[in-house]
Amino acid sequence: MATETLPDHKALRYARRERALAAMEAHDLDLLVVGRVANIRYVSGVPVLWNAGTRPFGPGAVLVRSTGEVHLMSTWDEGVPEEIPHDHLYGITWNPMNYVAVLERIGADVRPRRVGTDATSPLFAQLLPMAFPGAAIVDGGPALRHAKRVKTNEEVDAIRGALGVAEAGLAAAVAELRPGVSERELAGVFMDAMATHGVTTPATQDVVRITTAPTTRGAGRDGRDGPVQASDLVAFDAGVVADGYAGEVGRTWPVEPRRAGGWVRDLYDRWERLWERLLDACQPGAAGSDLLEAYEAAGEPLPQRPIGRGLGLGFDDPVIVGDLPDTAAHERLDPGVVLLLTGSVTDDRATVVAHEAFLIAPDGPEVLSGSPFWNRERGGVTT
Amino acid sequence: MSAAPPDVASPLDIPAQPDPARMRRERGARLRAAMADKGIEALVLLGNSNVTYATGASWPLGDAGRGNVERPVAVVLADDDMPHLFTPFVADVASRLDLDEDHLHGATYLDVDEGVAAFAVTLAGLVPPTATLAIDDVTGAMHGARETFFGEWPPRSASDVMGPARLIKTPDELAYLRHGLWITEQAMADVQARLAPGARQTDLTATFLLRAFELGAEANVLDPIWQVMPDRQADLPWTTHGDLACPLLSTERELERGDVCWVDTGISFGGFHSDFGRTWVVGDEPTARQRAQYRRWRDIHDAVVSVVRAGASAADLTAAAKQASGVDRPWMSHFYLCHGLGLDSAEAPYIGTDLGDGYDRRLVLEAGTVVVIEPVVWDEGHSGYRSENVFVVTDDGCVNLTDYPYDPYGD
Repeated sequence: MATETLPDHKALRYARRERALAAMEAHDLDLLVVGRVANIRYVSGVPVLWNAGTRPFGPGAVLVRSTGEVHLMSTWDEGVPEEIPHDHLYGITWNPMNYVAVLERIGADVRPRRVGTDATSPLFAQLLPMAFPGAAIVDGGPALRHAKRVKTNEEVDAIRGALGVAEAGLAAAVAELRPGVSERELAGVFMDAMATHGVTTPATQDVVRITTAPTTRGAGRDGRDGPVQASDLVAFDAGVVADGYAGEVGRTWPVEPRRAGGWVRDLYDRWERLWERLLDACQPGAAGSDLLEAYEAAGEPLPQRPIGRGLGLGFDDPVIVGDLPDTAAHERLDPGVVLLLTGSVTDDRATVVAHEAFLIAPDGPEVLSGSPFWNRERGGVTT
Repeated sequence: MSAAPPDVASPLDIPAQPDPARMRRERGARLRAAMADKGIEALVLLGNSNVTYATGASWPLGDAGRGNVERPVAVVLADDDMPHLFTPFVADVASRLDLDEDHLHGATYLDVDEGVAAFAVTLAGLVPPTATLAIDDVTGAMHGARETFFGEWPPRSASDVMGPARLIKTPDELAYLRHGLWITEQAMADVQARLAPGARQTDLTATFLLRAFELGAEANVLDPIWQVMPDRQADLPWTTHGDLACPLLSTERELERGDVCWVDTGISFGGFHSDFGRTWVVGDEPTARQRAQYRRWRDIHDAVVSVVRAGASAADLTAAAKQASGVDRPWMSHFYLCHGLGLDSAEAPYIGTDLGDGYDRRLVLEAGTVVVIEPVVWDEGHSGYRSENVFVVTDDGCVNLTDYPYDPYGD
């Protein structure tokens, strides 16, 4: 982050827009109307004020295929690049009919046959046909995913930048891990370090979790945020959004490693064996289902949450999770995909989980983060 | 400012400790009353705050990028007291929410075609095919599957139900809201104590977040704003409407002595968002002219407060602000004079928007509604003053939930 709010670098903006326009061509879309923050930034290159959580759909930006022009919902021009002139900005409004008028004006020049949106709502499902009479309003999601899933070199650099801050935050939080501290206090330490490094926007705020099962910890733990105990394992999920791009890294640490019993070492050893299989599967051209099968081959049950997620501007394909087996079977780890890989092993006492970002390079996965693992710090697998 | 979360009985009967089970019962009753009123038999809710309202589940909200993909979903049926919750955080919520096992479901992935297809099958088992269904948001994949997923297109809007239900807060909701405001104000006091020339905007954010999380904040909900306001509007970015460009993003810019800093942020606690707005002067005392700006702001603010009560219209509030200020719109014209606050940082009612005077005349305040009053004084050539306070509307007036001084401006 810098001392003023600037648009994304020109190379980044133009490369992304070119991909979006090519995807519009491939999916036969004349206009793309996007409402999701990351997609707005993808097509416009303009930083947007960060809010946590989901937002209702609104026409945040419009990309015109025939001219490559971008129209942007922004009441001011800070961070707006030169290729988006003032007359292509429209302010925030509380009257949805004002948006219809804006979109009508854009459509009047283009006369679109097919308009893609990245999401919609009952309200905009009514309004968009009014703005674009005669046009088919279709799901533009496949076009955007097609554009976004493979990263440009500049995008990989942006992800590396975000990962650097995430790792600094992780190190700061791990350094404060001790009996008596709470999950939220450690989350605060992470946030403090992240902001001190100049990034104020987390990718996830579910940063710290005691993974030791309540039955193992004994009485006194009611829901979340009890104080950490000496015998606990604690999982850190450090994610930041820097210059729009998500970087995330995760590790699990014993609170007092010297007191980690044999079962803890066994659990970490299981994690190492799983991780080896996951890395073997994480090759260019592999299917997403190969990662699911790596869990099976290691004899580890699949966790409920995704084991592979695309990193990029916001969320990108692929999402690889046991609940979506067909999706995983059809996913290919193409070179240029940046994947956050999750290894998670659990028994009835605790969970060891780690997240690591990889660039799928033509000759194999390139690891993008380098935070220490407790199990490796102590000298690797014991069995 | 209190040294501990307020725990004394207030004129509003806000309980010292919120009761989550009672809160969900009372919200459920409001929700089903609104469903009956609108003829809606089933609600499918995707928006984070709507899911929280319907189920009582709250979690540390993440960036929207990931939040869109791994998001809890709620299904509410008109004839069932208990909502269905689909969540990636099953283990977390199971112990805290008193939902029956058959109402608690694993994650759905409504951004993915396969996820939509699976959800449609589950939904068919919960909602009779003839039921009138409303939804709040439609993902791209749901849009793509609209012919099979939705009985009618466009679908009915859940906002017709959620809006009226969420407008009036129960005492337990106010207890959460007040606690979140308390956390925010404590953390802000730490930040203000460290406000000095040379501090970067991001350093203020670091201090704020550290303290807010220590005090139990669930999440940060708005990237904190510490906007340095210039003397002249021409030194702000160009705008589409000719009004002030605000709020602008924080950077690593270092603050300088005498900078006028407009502060705005919020955190979440129990799903409730707080809101905080003050004007500070960096490393210096305000000038006489700056104090006069503050006095004018107070006059406008107090005039608005004096007309807030159940039965007042939004137009009564805007008229009071106009009369006290002598200007047409003493607030940021891309926003509003007042907004609601609850499970979203800004929610209904919106007062003084570009929906116009007719809309404001028809909008009548009800007891239990929360309004954030945020007029602006701009003194061209000499910068300006802006603060915000959170009020609950009562039958005969309103109660201020904000408990933070106006230092260094006085009072």
